[in-house]
Amino acid sequence: MMRAQPRGTDGALLSSLPWTLAALVVSLVPHVPYLAFWITGAFVSCAAWRYTIEKQRRMLPSRWIRGGLALVCFLGVLATYSSISGVGPGSALLAIMASLKLLETRKRRDQFVLLFISIFLVMSSLLREQYLWSLPYLVVSTLIIMTAWLRMSASEGESAKQSFNTGGRLLLYAAPLAIAMWIFFPRLATPFWSVPIDTSRGMTGLSDTMSPGDISSLSQSNEVAFRVRFDGELPQPKDRYWRGLVMTSFNGRTWQASEPRIAAPAREQLEFIGQAYSYEVTLEPTQQQWVIAMDMPMEWSLERTFMGPHQQLSRVTPIEQRVAYRLVSYPSYRVQAELPRLFRRFYTEVPENSNPRTLALARELRAAAESDLDYIDAVLAMFRNEDYYYTLQPPALGSNSVDAFLFDTRRGFCEHYASAFSVLMRNAGIPSRIVAGYQGGEINPLGGHLIVRQSDAHAWTEVWLPDYGWRRVDPTAAVAPERIDYGTRDAALDGVGVSWGFSAPSQLLQDLTMAWDMLNMKWNDWILGYSPDKQKSFMEWLGMDEPSRRKMLLTFVIAVIALILLISGFMMLRYRPPNKDRLAVLYNRFVKKTGVDRRIGETEQAFAARAARESQLPAEAIESVTIAYLNARYGPGVPGSEETLRQAILKIA
Amino acid sequence: MQRGSTVEQIPSSMGAQRDAIERARRTLGTIILGKDEQISLALSCLLARGHLLIEDLPGLGKTMLAQSLARTLGLTYRRIQFTSDLLPADIIGVSVFRQDRGEFEFQPGPVFSQLILADEVNRATPKAQSALLEAMEEYQVSVDGETRALPKPFFVVATQNPGDQIGTFPLPESQLDRFLMRVAIGYPNEASERELIAGADRRAMIDEIEAITGPETLLELQRSAARQTVSEPLIDYVQALVRFTRESAEIETGLSPRGAQALVAAARSRSFIENHSGVFPDDIQAIFASVAGHRLKPAGSTQFRSPSELCQHVLDSVAIP
Repeated sequence: MMRAQPRGTDGALLSSLPWTLAALVVSLVPHVPYLAFWITGAFVSCAAWRYTIEKQRRMLPSRWIRGGLALVCFLGVLATYSSISGVGPGSALLAIMASLKLLETRKRRDQFVLLFISIFLVMSSLLREQYLWSLPYLVVSTLIIMTAWLRMSASEGESAKQSFNTGGRLLLYAAPLAIAMWIFFPRLATPFWSVPIDTSRGMTGLSDTMSPGDISSLSQSNEVAFRVRFDGELPQPKDRYWRGLVMTSFNGRTWQASEPRIAAPAREQLEFIGQAYSYEVTLEPTQQQWVIAMDMPMEWSLERTFMGPHQQLSRVTPIEQRVAYRLVSYPSYRVQAELPRLFRRFYTEVPENSNPRTLALARELRAAAESDLDYIDAVLAMFRNEDYYYTLQPPALGSNSVDAFLFDTRRGFCEHYASAFSVLMRNAGIPSRIVAGYQGGEINPLGGHLIVRQSDAHAWTEVWLPDYGWRRVDPTAAVAPERIDYGTRDAALDGVGVSWGFSAPSQLLQDLTMAWDMLNMKWNDWILGYSPDKQKSFMEWLGMDEPSRRKMLLTFVIAVIALILLISGFMMLRYRPPNKDRLAVLYNRFVKKTGVDRRIGETEQAFAARAARESQLPAEAIESVTIAYLNARYGPGVPGSEETLRQAILKIA
Repeated sequence: MQRGSTVEQIPSSMGAQRDAIERARRTLGTIILGKDEQISLALSCLLARGHLLIEDLPGLGKTMLAQSLARTLGLTYRRIQFTSDLLPADIIGVSVFRQDRGEFEFQPGPVFSQLILADEVNRATPKAQSALLEAMEEYQVSVDGETRALPKPFFVVATQNPGDQIGTFPLPESQLDRFLMRVAIGYPNEASERELIAGADRRAMIDEIEAITGPETLLELQRSAARQTVSEPLIDYVQALVRFTRESAEIETGLSPRGAQALVAAARSRSFIENHSGVFPDDIQAIFASVAGHRLKPAGSTQFRSPSELCQHVLDSVAIP
């Protein structure tokens, strides 16, 4: 026979429940943007429901209702995510089950479970992203969870503020330990766990295909794509072309990457000329395989990364986490001076019967030109001199997108020009391909590094000429030279600002943005980028010979023991017998204020006499506090005596 | 010589009680110069119904203190000079056969007074000493199989000369325990001494003292003192002190529970005299050396030369909770 558990509530949890709810809310916040809407809604309603039950001392829902709800929610998660493993579905399941757990939270033990869940939720948010603000978030959320924890076991008279302070103190004690652990615990090249990351969110910035006609408005994302720190001087703005991926095949509307059937090893085709630049790139996750490098990279430090036949760098595995790597690039180079006939065909392919007007134009212009070079100049001159405009809000194009752009709309951004130019080249038999990447970047005057944002994404063309090899031609530069010289932001904002009555963003805002960016850079460099290599060199800097995991672990253990000894020694020195009552706490606050140390065994009166001589506080104030304290603590417990003490102490402050 | 009070007005209000104490203190202060602390301790001891042992060299005013206490408080007073041939009967009294009535009649000894000065108590034999000490403990004496109650209040102020070694019988620890306090008077300071030398005859002054209280008032004051608040944190403090005396390497025998009770009782009176709202740690510290000094047995290896130094060490080592 089973005894039914009592379902009624008696309001006993009323004091600690709001804190538990707060802890859950805080731990859920970073998940909300990724959670299905109904899950957040379910949490909010469960929390409100549970609180009402406690407040009005109602009955908790019966086992059947709870069981039914759990099943429905589980199926709901399964239906929404079509899986229950991975960060997304996992955190969704955790969130919904925590909400439901609220409905059977009757005892302290259930609250403990809820707090464990919230700790787990906080930690799982780190699996997604670790930004600079993750650290303050972690501290705040842990503090709230600790407070909730302490609230549950708090004695009657303990105020929430006291619990909060205790929680904070515990965290402070733990901080040195955490830091020592972080510094000395051997780093692993690969993370401990490998979690499938949501890829459904889609990629910002570059995509691996390009269909200029589809996009009628390019959103200006200020998100950082990558940051670059040059060892020496920075290259000229016109040389800051960042290669991403190379697209070679065109179906009349869309450009995409494809491998040529046979290719010579990419690096053998390269010949570097002139000045070299060495630099470090910190690349934000792209979920793609291509690796950003300044035109044209000669060396790179990223592992398992190879240069493809189009001089495109790719890593074997997609870049799912922020990576930093070093490179050496030469802005002047010659590549693939010899291009076999087979390849010429590959790079001049256009679908038949597409863009007929463009084909006619190409034939006409080529016939008028003396050489391929003249032809290129003629096309660029056409873009420059005729009514072509650079805009981020181009009209949509029809099926023959190049025709429509060149002859009808005449408005577009880099993709339109690169695509049209490339097709014109191919139509005239000149091998050409499109390089998508970034152009320009903004120098952070505080950090001295270059910030390249998603809005700096760019596409340009490379054409192959005998003896010259592949040469970069940027048709956008012909239309909007300021795009290349100043970057998109200014090119696009110039007109807008005037027409809307804005001036350029204020200097202060600019400075703040730069300062924030520098902080992020440092965060990436020192915290997230604390790799096994950096750890090793840091250990060497600390004076450890030939750092090994064993040595580091040993140092870690020694550091922990030393820390514990240090902290306990410190606590022993500062030890005062525990103050059980509030009055003593108040009095000790007063003692602290006087700035005079109370000796062991010194009576309140003796201390008051000494403090009157040694401290800056007025003697009457010291006396009145002392009398109030003695009366309140040792007297017959007259009501209001504590208040008198409080008032006396407040008068001092 | 016997002195008694005639008509006594018993002060009932707190204010009147305080007033009486203040006046008593002031009066005593005019006789025994520069010894406010000792006066306060002696008063505390009496208010806590405790017996007082004054230990010091001759001529420092031991007898004077006892006499003026008796006069000020309006108590009947007897002095017993303890000598090596003193017999218990000299203290308690004897039954004498009255021929005219044909029966024994009890002649009460000096012990039947409210305040007794037992001068040089360590000169008498243990037998005589124990007669007194029994009376102190029981507040009654048994003579010829008959138990006779002693007057109320009943105080013994004993004096003892620590310098005397030959022909003395020092009180054993178990008997020292009967005294609530042991105080030393010490030399007066320069100004006080000057006044003593130049001033009027102290004995004459004592005779002129007018009783400020009487036995009934004193009992009332004792009851009030016993009602002084003792708070939880104060008990914590007393316990910490007692624990320290038991655990310290400097001390062989620490304070007994009775010693702890004595501390609190004496501190209550002191707190009452000082007009505190409750017993403060300061009250404990003020009476600590005189209450605990003769109850602690220092370890053989101790570095402290006197009981009062040892007591100060205890106070300086135990934090006030």
